[in-house]
Amino acid sequence: MRTCFTTLLITLCCLGTAWGADRENPRTMQFPPLHFTIPRAERLLLDNGTPVYLLEDHELPIVTVSALIHTGSVYDPPGKSGLAALTGAQLRGGGTTRLTAAQLDDELEYMASSVESSFGADSGTVTMTTLTRNLPRSLELFGDILHHPRFDEQRFTVARQRALEAIRRQNDDPKELADRELIRAIYRGHPLGVIPTAASITAITRTDLTAFQQRFVRPDNLIITVAGDFNRNAIVDRLNRLIGSWRPATPLALPAVPPVPQTVTPEVLFARKRINQTVIRLGHLGITKDDPDLYAVRLLDFILGGSFTSRLMMEIRTNQGLAYNVDSAFDVGRRFPGTFIAETETKADTTARTISLMTSIIAGIRTAPVSAEELTLAKESIINSFLFAFTTPASIVNQEARLEFYGYPPDYLDRYRQRIAAVTREEVLQAARRHLHPDAFKLVVVGDDRRFDRPLSSFGAVRTLPLP
Amino acid sequence: MMRHLISGCLLLIWLTAPLPLQAAGLDGRVVEHTYQNGLKLLMVERHTSPTVSAWIRFKVGSVNERSDERGVAHMLEHMLFKGTKTLGTTDYAAEKPLLDKIEATAQLMMAEQAKEKKGDPARIAALQARLAALEKEAERYVVKDEFFDLYSRNGGVGYNAFTAKDGTTYLISLPSNKLELWAAIESDRMRDPVLREFYTERAVVMEERRRSYDAEPSAKLWETFLAASYQAHPYGQPTIGWMSDIQFLSRTKAERFLHRYYAPNNAVIAVVGDINPQQVIRLVGRYFGEIPPGTPVPTVTVQEEPQRGERRVEVRADAEPEVLIGFHKTALGDKDDEVFDVISALLSQGRTSRLYRSLVLKKQLASDVSTFTAPGSLYPSLFVLAASPRAPHTAGEVEQALLDELDRLKKEPVTPWELQKILNQLEFQEIRRMGTNGGLARNLTEYEAVAGSWRYLLTYRAKVARVTPADIQRVARAWFTRSNRTVGILTKTATGGTTP
Repeated sequence: MRTCFTTLLITLCCLGTAWGADRENPRTMQFPPLHFTIPRAERLLLDNGTPVYLLEDHELPIVTVSALIHTGSVYDPPGKSGLAALTGAQLRGGGTTRLTAAQLDDELEYMASSVESSFGADSGTVTMTTLTRNLPRSLELFGDILHHPRFDEQRFTVARQRALEAIRRQNDDPKELADRELIRAIYRGHPLGVIPTAASITAITRTDLTAFQQRFVRPDNLIITVAGDFNRNAIVDRLNRLIGSWRPATPLALPAVPPVPQTVTPEVLFARKRINQTVIRLGHLGITKDDPDLYAVRLLDFILGGSFTSRLMMEIRTNQGLAYNVDSAFDVGRRFPGTFIAETETKADTTARTISLMTSIIAGIRTAPVSAEELTLAKESIINSFLFAFTTPASIVNQEARLEFYGYPPDYLDRYRQRIAAVTREEVLQAARRHLHPDAFKLVVVGDDRRFDRPLSSFGAVRTLPLP
Repeated sequence: MMRHLISGCLLLIWLTAPLPLQAAGLDGRVVEHTYQNGLKLLMVERHTSPTVSAWIRFKVGSVNERSDERGVAHMLEHMLFKGTKTLGTTDYAAEKPLLDKIEATAQLMMAEQAKEKKGDPARIAALQARLAALEKEAERYVVKDEFFDLYSRNGGVGYNAFTAKDGTTYLISLPSNKLELWAAIESDRMRDPVLREFYTERAVVMEERRRSYDAEPSAKLWETFLAASYQAHPYGQPTIGWMSDIQFLSRTKAERFLHRYYAPNNAVIAVVGDINPQQVIRLVGRYFGEIPPGTPVPTVTVQEEPQRGERRVEVRADAEPEVLIGFHKTALGDKDDEVFDVISALLSQGRTSRLYRSLVLKKQLASDVSTFTAPGSLYPSLFVLAASPRAPHTAGEVEQALLDELDRLKKEPVTPWELQKILNQLEFQEIRRMGTNGGLARNLTEYEAVAGSWRYLLTYRAKVARVTPADIQRVARAWFTRSNRTVGILTKTATGGTTP
């Protein structure tokens, strides 16, 4: 009975053809032209020279204001890894000189305004979002957080304890463990490869936070962005009062950061976890945004491991069913060389097979030019999805601010699609040969080695990571 | 499909427990249309950028699975990316006999595997090899991932899908001149899907299960906790299925589920962005209008029996402790449901919330706390408190501190300041939700499906505004009882862990 019913439904579904007079075939469909021009923010300087990007949009009664600060964990002093991250979090978390931390929390949350701050590897942000009617007060609080943070001692203690707890938990998720150890291996010998430890967190004092904030959070070291429902002249006046009148007594002096050591030594690192699926990560240093191969690398990235139809995904997941997640990516560095990292997870008894397959697919893209079809798909995808970088006013102003912040050429956005379109198959091949080095991969594996299909030592001398 | 949210687990908080006195801006901007075959279309016109987001939600999820087909809704989510009779294939007529042979072989293999110890290992191995060979042979007709290819070359982004207890959603954003491509692909997928490459994809889903549950201790705790909380209702079963469920999923089972439910009368579409709604009504009508309706998704009639005592479950793993406490609660739309939302905001929304102030800042027992409703909305769900103890404090101390805060809700009326703060936050959230095409499409499809109408969003904040301090005390006393709770604890084993 059930079978009959199913058959009937299938038959019904088969009636009629997919494409007909009023239904176009997706393979050959033509589209009307799209009208898109890159939206532009207004750039101006406050009285003290701080750059501001403004973009009005009155669709919703919301305003977003951000500060993009030149700082980051690359400036963590030796032995105090974690200082930038703690300073970033406590800038907002620790109150202001006018308001205790609890008063600041109360006032912001009652208004449904938010200010959040965080410092990453080579930049920091403080972002305020508010209903238009609360803009004046929210902006004052935003200014106080930047200029007059309190770094409340008790909140600092809590933040430090939470950082210690996060370290205690850092190996709980085997993926997180592998990700971290790969970064440590790739950037060994450089601040980018230093991971906070219980000792380094414990060594940090409130005075360190204050000094770090005073050194980096200053108007000649940041860019402000404003997006949403505001009045241009009114907000420029307010920003001038809050930030434009702020003139540091001392000249800006950013510490020097050493160059990243260019190592080409392969490594095999292993951490033992009794789990039924192995985490696999491999990679090495990548490129910076100033590399002449940047556009070829973007296309290479898409074809190799950056899309659902990439070579890695197609073979390892779609054809062989070895993994759910598999990809590779060049994380293009701005101030320092970035990384090339490939990642996947597979059941313990296909570990070595998957590592070999992954490595050979990556090596394969260095041996012959990509196909014309692959290159066309990659170009069309990147060029046609370009406009998604500009879908909200906040993303538009932040994009422009970041280009200035990291020193991109002024025509970067205007010429981006054209430069992608101009890349040849030969250039992709040359980029693959220059920037992919399977013989220099740092390989990190987390899993149950008793169940592996082949010993990890078949990939090189294994160093087992001590887990606390 | 790339990164499903599956049951959405721990992240729901205010995503499921939503927002809106007068939903600012939403009323008067949503255009609705219902087609003769039952398909519902919701639209909002926004011209911030020349882009559009299109979400299709089927009102069928893992809660609708029978016990012999657990995991099939999620498996189908994967399979519906594999093409149709015209897409994803070079010649369906030639491919079809091979697909049938694959299925017959797989059925034989599973029949043998189902004998467990009495099964013949040699026969299983031979059938496995034959299955692999046939799937390889069928590959010559397959145009791999053609949906992705078409969307991708046309600038589509965020092409994905997710399966939850109550529904399955397929989403994409496109440059607005490409909306017809979406209509063509998605209507073809609703009309004529072909579940090719089934058994390879099943292996992918097993890897997904290992990745998302088996090898991730906090997710394993969640899965175990949920299963312990429900003895009768299918909300307790994992959306992805248990591993042995997945092992016995077949194309036949998947097609049966597919043809029963994946039809226009069980679907809600939201198209938000740079559109002309009248044109979209015609476009969707042209592509989807003639697809025949299917069986309406029936109500799940089994009800969870009232819980008669505290249940406790433990998961031992190579990870630091975690605490989950869950209380059975109402379904979305039930009397008092929004009282739970208010309690959740009181307890864990922001730095001024009660649990954050008490457990994280003052007592410093926990490094993180959260509360949320899970795993669904359509049927009675759970009110969950989750916390990560901060060493040297124990799971037991944290559990007691969480319960103390619930007792405080029973004893002391909450302050008007706290309630007004929550309303202010809701106002902000409902405006912010209007700021992205995808966020709006998500909310419209979700609430149309689980609340019966997206208009739920319009009246929600007014309902919340009527919640009184006495309501909160009443609900807390009635529901946050020892007998009604399940406690899940993650306990650390020695480093390296025990072998599962």
